[in-house]
Amino acid sequence: MSTALSLHQSRKRKNSVMMALCVVAAGIGLAWLALILGALIYKGLSGVSLAVFTEMTPPPGDAGGLLNAIYGSIVMTIIGILVGTPIGVLAGTYMAEYGRFSKLTTVVRFINDILLSAPSIIVGLFVYELMVRPMGHFSAIAGAVALSILVIPVVVRTTEDMLNLVPNALREAGTAIGAPRWVVIRSVAYRAAMSGIVTGILLAVARISGETAPLLFTALNNQFWSSNLNAPMASLPVTIFQFALSPYEEWQQLAWTGALIITLTVLGLSIFARSLTGRREDR
Amino acid sequence: MKPMLSTDLNVPDTAVEKAKIEVKGLNFYYGQSKALKDINLSLPERSVTAFIGPSGCGKSTLLRVLNRIYELYPKQSAEGQVLLDGKNILDRSQDLNLLRTKIGMVFQKPTPFPMSIYENIAFGVRLYEKISKAEMDNRVESALKRAALWNEVKDKLNASGQSLSGGQQQRLCIARTVAVKPEVILLDEPASALDPLSTAKIEELIDELQADYTIVIVTHNMQQAARVSRQTAFMYLGELVEFDRTEKIFTSPHEKRTQDYITGRFG
Repeated sequence: MSTALSLHQSRKRKNSVMMALCVVAAGIGLAWLALILGALIYKGLSGVSLAVFTEMTPPPGDAGGLLNAIYGSIVMTIIGILVGTPIGVLAGTYMAEYGRFSKLTTVVRFINDILLSAPSIIVGLFVYELMVRPMGHFSAIAGAVALSILVIPVVVRTTEDMLNLVPNALREAGTAIGAPRWVVIRSVAYRAAMSGIVTGILLAVARISGETAPLLFTALNNQFWSSNLNAPMASLPVTIFQFALSPYEEWQQLAWTGALIITLTVLGLSIFARSLTGRREDR
Repeated sequence: MKPMLSTDLNVPDTAVEKAKIEVKGLNFYYGQSKALKDINLSLPERSVTAFIGPSGCGKSTLLRVLNRIYELYPKQSAEGQVLLDGKNILDRSQDLNLLRTKIGMVFQKPTPFPMSIYENIAFGVRLYEKISKAEMDNRVESALKRAALWNEVKDKLNASGQSLSGGQQQRLCIARTVAVKPEVILLDEPASALDPLSTAKIEELIDELQADYTIVIVTHNMQQAARVSRQTAFMYLGELVEFDRTEKIFTSPHEKRTQDYITGRFG
């Protein structure tokens, strides 16, 4: 009786120790996020003004904004998504639908996983060799291509995963009614996996909108307004990188503000993506 | 023992009727393993045939050969002949999509498409027919009436098909199958995931549908087979043990194994 009781006691003790460790670990994880967000808001919010969104990046010692950098980021992100998404969705579709049982799928999945975790600076160097050197100059289009290479593995992965979640019974039902393969994929499988695939695309947007390294070697940066895709273009991450390293106070302030803008955008996109998947699970 | 089926068993009273589907010397393989062994049977037109047998006996496999849906998966292959109105559907030249508009199928788990109730039915129709909106409305209505679902859904045709109850979803799947005007309907344990009331509705429906369609039903439930079918095939370990009129199978089967199965001695 007493041994049983002491066993019970010691288990209870172990349980509370383990629980305390888990709570502390979770707290540490969350603390960093809170600290980063807090620092960004504390340092960045004071710099937020209309000028940030309407004026160009200033020369040292002057006041100015981030308009050209924000514009550049948006343009290159959009092109990157427009180029990368169709390739990613189609590749994911091949892997989950047409090539589900083929060796090629296994190979592509393996390579895609490597690409997914490849350092983005390597992608930047690759596009530098591929486009910047032959063209002889940095350009926004090279930056967009580098970003689209980062988009592809994310979208391939989520598309394949989401299509694999679509029950085979649904495909069989579509087939049994006489629908050709591509109609089953388009009207049944895509429809069932839609919110998941869109989530993947949003996550890709979130990923590339903060990328610096691939842009350093491709789009470089631009102090001035430029909408020429064949010329260097400013972007938020590269501008932050440059301004944060500078000794000028105005530039440092703009770097904080830019960092806050990116973070809030990515946060917003992630929350939106979450709410999409959440709704899917409700059904 | 010799292959189970001699021809005399194979021509029950149904021999006088026209055979809609004739299966001749059918073997089926999952990779290397043989799942169906020399199946021969003929399914009479406009009547219900049940396939019964313990799990893994090959009854679902046989059903999935009839519309060649097994071809979705590699490593599954069939050899032999399956004649639909005298034409071998296992032939390479057979257009699979056209075949499946002639031979509809309803599955064990209700599988409404992720779209509205209306679209669930219009989807299949639209694949092979160009008809006006008014005609489509009629088509959807008559299919839903045919499946005894119209009264329950007529006010919410735009609601998602997946918002219906399990029994309603299954009737929606039957409506969807009927709407493309097939000649044969294959039912793969259509009521095994449903409650008794929904099951009764489905069985009533099968009874009504046999006036116009050739129906094949796979079922685990022997009472169900006895209730709804005119012919019953008993399968065991990939062989067709016995095929005869349903009352014959359930009252005075030829084979000892059939007897043992229907009296619950195994399976």
